[in-house]
Amino acid sequence: MWPDPDLKVASLVSNGQHPKSGRSRRASQDARAVELGLKMAGAASRVIHVGDGDREGGLDQYLGMGLPEITLLNADEQADAVPVLLEYLKGASFDIVLTGVHAEQGEASGMVPYLLAEQLGWPLVSHIADIRKVEGGRAEVLQALPRGQRRLLRVPLPFIATVDSAAADARQYAFGAARRGRLVDAITDAPVDQARQEWTCAPAKPRPKRLHVAKAKSAADRFKAATAKPQGQGGSVIREGTDQEKATAIMELLVSEGVVR
Amino acid sequence: MSDTPRRNPRMEWILRNRLHPEHEMLAAARNGPTRGPTGLLRKNPHAVGFIGPHGIRRIDRSAGLSGGASGSSSGGRGRSTGAKVELPLHRVDNPDFYVAVVVDLVAGRLSSHDRDILGQARLLVQGAEEQGAVVAVALGEAREANFELAGADRLVSLTELNGRPLSGYCPEHRLAVLEAVESQLAPRFWLFPDSIHGGADLGSRLSARLGERPAVHAWKVDAQQTVCRGGTQRTDWHRPTARVLLLAEECALPVDETRHEAKPIELDTLPDVSALIEDLGPVDVDPSKIALGEAEFILSAGNGIRDWDQFHAVATALGATEGASRVAVDDGHMPRGRQVGATGTWVTARVYVAVGISGAIQHLQGIGQCDKVIAINLDDSCDMIKRADLSVIGDSQAILGELLRLAAARQDNPDTASDDAATDMTEEARHVA
Amino acid sequence: MLPEWLLPALVIMALGLFAIGALRRILLWRAGRPEPVRLIAGLMAMPRRYLVDLHHVVARDKAMSNTHVATAGGFVLSMLLIIPVHVFGLDSRWLTLPLLVSTIIMFTGAVFVYRRRRNPPARLSKGPWMRLPKSLLTFSASFFLLTLLASDVLPENFGHWVLTGVLLIGVTLGLAELLFGMGWGGPMKHAFAGALHLAFHRRPERFGGGRSTGLKPVDLDGMLGVAEPSDFKWNQLLGFDACVQCGRCEAVCPAFAAGQPLNPKKLIQDMVVGLAGGTDAHYAGSPYPGRDVGQAQGSPHQPIVDGLVSAETLWSCTTCRACVEECPMMIEHVDAIVDMRRHLTLERGETPNKGAEVLDNLIATDNPGGYEPDSRMNWAADLALPLMADKQVADVLFWVSDGCFDMRSQRILRAFVKILKAANVDFAVLGNEECDSGDVARRLGDDATFQTLARHNVATLRKYRFSRIVTTDPHAFHVLKNEYGDFGGHYDVMHHSTFINELVTQGRIQLDRFKGGAVTYHDPCYLGRYNGEYESPRALLAALGIQVSEMERSGYRSRCCGGGGGAPITDIPGEHRIADMRVDDARKVEAETIAVACQQCTAMLEGVVEPRPEIRDLAELVAEGLIVDAAGPASTATARPSLAEEVH
Repeated sequence: MWPDPDLKVASLVSNGQHPKSGRSRRASQDARAVELGLKMAGAASRVIHVGDGDREGGLDQYLGMGLPEITLLNADEQADAVPVLLEYLKGASFDIVLTGVHAEQGEASGMVPYLLAEQLGWPLVSHIADIRKVEGGRAEVLQALPRGQRRLLRVPLPFIATVDSAAADARQYAFGAARRGRLVDAITDAPVDQARQEWTCAPAKPRPKRLHVAKAKSAADRFKAATAKPQGQGGSVIREGTDQEKATAIMELLVSEGVVR
Repeated sequence: MSDTPRRNPRMEWILRNRLHPEHEMLAAARNGPTRGPTGLLRKNPHAVGFIGPHGIRRIDRSAGLSGGASGSSSGGRGRSTGAKVELPLHRVDNPDFYVAVVVDLVAGRLSSHDRDILGQARLLVQGAEEQGAVVAVALGEAREANFELAGADRLVSLTELNGRPLSGYCPEHRLAVLEAVESQLAPRFWLFPDSIHGGADLGSRLSARLGERPAVHAWKVDAQQTVCRGGTQRTDWHRPTARVLLLAEECALPVDETRHEAKPIELDTLPDVSALIEDLGPVDVDPSKIALGEAEFILSAGNGIRDWDQFHAVATALGATEGASRVAVDDGHMPRGRQVGATGTWVTARVYVAVGISGAIQHLQGIGQCDKVIAINLDDSCDMIKRADLSVIGDSQAILGELLRLAAARQDNPDTASDDAATDMTEEARHVA
Repeated sequence: MLPEWLLPALVIMALGLFAIGALRRILLWRAGRPEPVRLIAGLMAMPRRYLVDLHHVVARDKAMSNTHVATAGGFVLSMLLIIPVHVFGLDSRWLTLPLLVSTIIMFTGAVFVYRRRRNPPARLSKGPWMRLPKSLLTFSASFFLLTLLASDVLPENFGHWVLTGVLLIGVTLGLAELLFGMGWGGPMKHAFAGALHLAFHRRPERFGGGRSTGLKPVDLDGMLGVAEPSDFKWNQLLGFDACVQCGRCEAVCPAFAAGQPLNPKKLIQDMVVGLAGGTDAHYAGSPYPGRDVGQAQGSPHQPIVDGLVSAETLWSCTTCRACVEECPMMIEHVDAIVDMRRHLTLERGETPNKGAEVLDNLIATDNPGGYEPDSRMNWAADLALPLMADKQVADVLFWVSDGCFDMRSQRILRAFVKILKAANVDFAVLGNEECDSGDVARRLGDDATFQTLARHNVATLRKYRFSRIVTTDPHAFHVLKNEYGDFGGHYDVMHHSTFINELVTQGRIQLDRFKGGAVTYHDPCYLGRYNGEYESPRALLAALGIQVSEMERSGYRSRCCGGGGGAPITDIPGEHRIADMRVDDARKVEAETIAVACQQCTAMLEGVVEPRPEIRDLAELVAEGLIVDAAGPASTATARPSLAEEVH
């Protein structure tokens, strides 16, 4: 059934950042949103970016996924993306708007889809892994739950969905496709995000690791807590015994860890 | 056997009365000081302690805390941990303001994240001049959620809204309840766990509805200033504390020194909502299809596996996600996507069972983040055994066969009671550790 | 008697048809992209290239070499003499006698060809090639007898017109095969295309004992790789046409032996199908393992992948260069494969399996594993390695390579550092400034990423002064030495085996005798075939008192470990694992230790299930055998090269 050329799908993409090197790239969840859009609507799916149009910042990598163009809503770094997007989305008639759960740069509050949904009056589904089908103006959406579990939701069009990291991997980007892809500017008036001007941004400080504080009632307890053997330093080894005993020992651990119910 | 310490007045009397015919016997059994023939109190130094596993005498001075290993703990002294300490009750009669905490209640219980947030709420209340109260908002069924000990002064607990149970995915209903709380209590702060269990979603929805700009990934919060972690954990944003806070794990210590009222608050008006999003329920996920990186419980096969059908059967029976070593993949027994290790997938499973994997260095690198590793192997000198928390030396085929039988037996006769007890035990153990 | 004009007419017609066919063939090649060649100089150099360089390769099979000399030499000579004798009717003993001799030589050669064709090895193609010895025999015998008849050596009226008629049919058949077929795609095409291929070879440096193994850079503003046969350079197409289908490449290809869907010979033949248009239905050699013949079809302007060859075929290659080394026609298989990979990666974004992830990591973190770029020196936290950024000048720049992230490779690196310190070498590392050399990116076809990395590394290296680079990774060694030149990086690069061997011969380190069992040495492709270093590792092992028990395939014929060219990343399934086959080679010579000189080989061979020979890098063996005495370093310190002293 996919791709469905009648479906109007748009993906909102931002500039990403590699968690280890900090280098600009396509944002992993946004790229998954683009992938899902390409799957659903093929080349008809649209991709929208608010920013200064620096292709090196990650846009090249989105274009390299085989997009003919990205709609660029011009705004500088201080701008608030929400009003710009809102105006654009009101003018267009999309059925589904996809985006990542969080951005990878800046505040990364993940509020953009919520604010858009609130002001457009659209439903919002968070953390989706896939969209199974669209039928009769309603979509069946697979929501990602922790540890690989899934939940099925039905939601009427139009709606906004945030795409979880559990969604299908974004396709590889190709240098040639990136070279061909175009940015289509849309003239916008982007207001400055005033509130953020007052905030300060610093490189992340490592968060203190919480120590396991033993609320000890006696000196002996405190001593024990302080000298207790750290976990994982050499385990127990069962050499003797029947296979059944060995299997039982394993089963007991699995049960006590709660993975076998 | 009950752990409650009980006095035995008769035994105490016999011990005091050295003329009693049973005195000698009891005194010797206790290894305690005995009255010598001259009337002097004598200790028998040889009777102290016990012989440890290496044949060395060990003296346990922990008063029986070590949990059974010390054979000499006396019945009379009792276990100090057994004594339940009644924490002081913190009472708020007429709060000037509220701090609302919307808890996740994963599987009906307060998660450790929830407790951290309640702890943070307590700090915000304590820091204020006026008297504030922490309101826990619990949506959905709460089992064993001990709000009194977690630090909730007030409790808004709803299991359904207009006949629609607040379980599953129903953000619109939940949001409506929160709006009702807002209009009734107008909390000074709204606190949410910034979690994938719904806290972040709901918090964002409420912010959007209230027109508040939330502080997201907040990890250091006081009434004025908040530090939020930025994207990909690389920046810290220092900003004034927002009214809606989405808090990271371990943002504050959970409440553990006071008891609270958790006095229920009834909401005056319950809104009527028509939800657009319909929850069609959980989808059956084949554990073997779960991406390795996400899986919680992995049964991984190596070169030692001979009977692959049996291996697959065990994985199915245990509900484990299948993994494999490089050799098993190279030999074509498993698809490449199932390869665990630095050259395959880095896994984060809580429990990792390695069957017939000797543990190449790249493989061990890839399971570095696993919590509990169980190894089944014939060779007791291999590297996997050194890494594993529990190792079983033996023929993998036979042991897998037994596991399969055990799993089948459990399925026929689910012994849930002992199961839950065991889980609680480990959870307790983790807290102590 | 037959009319006099018949024989000359036949020969002229055959020559004419050959000329037309040849022109047509040339036009087919010219459909490829332009590449400037030295026209006259190339043609002038051709005979020498044929007689020396090509025969150097052919002579590895002595019998076949002699057969070819006789047949080909006889044919060329005959042809040169047939024209004056039979076309212009020059009747001179000085011409007819040599013609008779040359046809006899050709006949003798053809007999040997025929004998080999009676029971041909599997690697040889059948089909039209089975006809060839018969055609050769017919041609040489017919012309011998005709010449005999036409000459005055025999008495008049000896010949019977029936006999002459039969001979004329033979002549026709022979000419059809040897001249017409040469121009129109018969087996003899190889002679014509091969000669021109030698003249206009894309890597003329290979002739005269040279070596040219670095890949050619992609123009990132131009065409990215090869999508259709016409996207190859014209002389590459010419090269494909030169293939004699001898199957030597197939016999040495590790992927073919492992049952992966690659056969270098079939690949080249498929390219020929592509340049000429049609299907591979007439191909009569071994197929790609697990694939049927007859499915491939293409034309110069149709996409290659999924028409002519499957992508899996291209990704099976380990770029070990064994096929290129063996090819008597000096065809560049690896260049062609990488060209097509470039299209798949750069244009289609279809690098299979972990390929996309690895490339992504290289782009984002400068290493294939996606590790933090600032953690490059974590492996050496306790070694206090001098950094180039601090020293600015050093005698030796130790190129650490990405082995720094792999815990197994770190053992090799540490061993090498121990040796460097023992020999008191003035060295430094780049530390976090180093990036991946780009080897993997380039072999996976991502030349854009390779060029970014290369430019970055060249710029970094430009900041410092050093007399040479030493690395333990043959892949980095090859790239630094042979492929950075295109980006302005010209360095004196040494592999650690060469360098340590130099230290030993200079007496800067003393080695104990190796205490262990039989040792064999596995030549890494990128050290051996790519860079011709076969001797230093062996000399080093000899210095350790090791008598290397050589495997059947060693030196330039060494079998790949399966780890090159991104093959472990693209991971195309086969029936066996290449590494298993290599360890079996070692087991055959009962080696207890396989000495290697490459961390990739170490990883691949150690992936083989135990029990197997122990895998040790040369650096580890040397570090273990180091004799450290207090006096040693002091005495060598004075003999140190003076570069460092100038600065201090």
